[in-house]
Formats: sequence, structure tokens, C-alpha cells
Amino acid sequence: MIPVIAYTVLLLALVGTLWGLVTAIANKPPGAKQLIFAAAIELVTVVQSVIGLAKLVLGFRPVELATTIGYLVVIVILVPLAWFWANSERTRFSGVVLAIAALSVFGMTLRLITLWTPAAGS
Amino acid sequence: MSEQPPAPTVRRTNSGPGRILVAVYAVFALSASARAGVQLATKYAEAPLAYALSAVAAVVYIVATFTLARGTVASRKWATVAIVLELVGVLTVGTLSVFDAQAFPRATVWSTYGIGYAFVPLVLPVLGLLWLRRTRPAATVGA
Repeated sequence: MIPVIAYTVLLLALVGTLWGLVTAIANKPPGAKQLIFAAAIELVTVVQSVIGLAKLVLGFRPVELATTIGYLVVIVILVPLAWFWANSERTRFSGVVLAIAALSVFGMTLRLITLWTPAAGS
Repeated sequence: MSEQPPAPTVRRTNSGPGRILVAVYAVFALSASARAGVQLATKYAEAPLAYALSAVAAVVYIVATFTLARGTVASRKWATVAIVLELVGVLTVGTLSVFDAQAFPRATVWSTYGIGYAFVPLVLPVLGLLWLRRTRPAATVGA
């Protein structure tokens, strides 16, 4: 992982989680800025996964290669799915849906940071 | 339990707070599927029982996600089946993994009642069944 990108994802995902919970508590559906912010989380997450997968292709070998690939792929699916699900019925619960996706991105990025350990001898 | 068209007042499993439930189930469906895929593809021989159960868990989460998200009278039944299986699974695997660690040398999503996922796998089926009960077509308004 590129630390700067991973920490950026962590920060954005944390803000996205809190934002989603705040609008839910305020009983409002997510606003335009919030949806654009979710898109920004997705953008940086995609950049992270593309770089990660590129490094794997170029020969980097983490201890758990298959798991690492799984995380890099699944992590980019979450926010688009949540975006669709949050917008197909716009209520306070849409914010929670976005928050769940953002929190998952946060947790998976934490795990990716620990997964990104070179295998012995590579 | 006869087949009847939903009454106008029926609450669908995919509406309101049900959106949250579906979202959480979707996260588990994705993570359990990816996890089972990796385990079966790379190290099935290490712990066949645990990894086969990982695959079962993945299927259960996928079925629960889609049936709750559809929210029809028919899909509710499949959701109920899937979520009951999920509850049985997490209780069985959770108990076995505590008392017979030999059979579960590797963590599955249900090991130790889902401790690796902050016990969400244990709470989720309970919430799922409560939600199905709350939204059941015959439910009286305000129950």
C-alpha cells in the first residue's frame, strides 16, 4: 500500500461514516454534497486498488496473496452499491446505508495495511 | 399461511429501516463470498469442514440479501429460511469452534459466534427475524 493513499482513504471513509450518521439523526436523506463526497471516497479507493493490483502484477508478493486480491477488488464495489441502494429510496436510512459502506471501506483499508506485508524471501 | 396478495398496508422488508438490514447483509454476502472463494481456492485441504461451512455461510448471506431486498410475499419466505439457517449456523459453528477447536483450526465468519466481526453475525439473524416478524403481511398496524 501507499501509506499516503491508505490514510487518505481512512480519513475520507471516517468522515463519510460520520456524515451518513449525522444526516440520519437529523432525519434527512443524503444531500448532493454528501453524495459527491461518497464519489470522492470511491475515487480514492479505486486509485488505491489500481495501484495495489499493479504492484502485485509487477511482482510484489504479500503473505496472503489471494486474500489481498480479494480485498482490493471487493473494496471498490461497496460504495457504488451503497450509492444505488441509498438513492433508490431516499430517506434518513439512506445516510446509514452510505455510512455502512464507508465504515466497511475503512475497516477493509485497515486490514489491507496489515495484509501488505511482503512474504518471506520475496 | 395461504398465498394472498399483499394488503395495501403491508410493510415491505426492503423499506425504511429494512434498507439498513439489506445493506449489512450485502456487506456480509460480499465478504463471506470473497473469503470462502479464497479459502476454497487456496487452502481447502487444511480445514475442509470449516471452509465448506464458509461457503454455506456465503450462500446464506447472499440469499438473505436478495430476498430481503426484493421484499415480496414470496421472497419473505426464502428470507426466513435463510435467516433461520444463518442463526442455526452461527450458533452451531460458534459453539463447535469454542469446544472443538480441532475441527475449526481456521477462522470462519461464524467462529466463536462471529467474534472476528464484532459479533455482528450473531446479532444479525436475530434482527433479521425480528424485522420479518414486524413486517409480516398479517401484522396489525402498530404492533
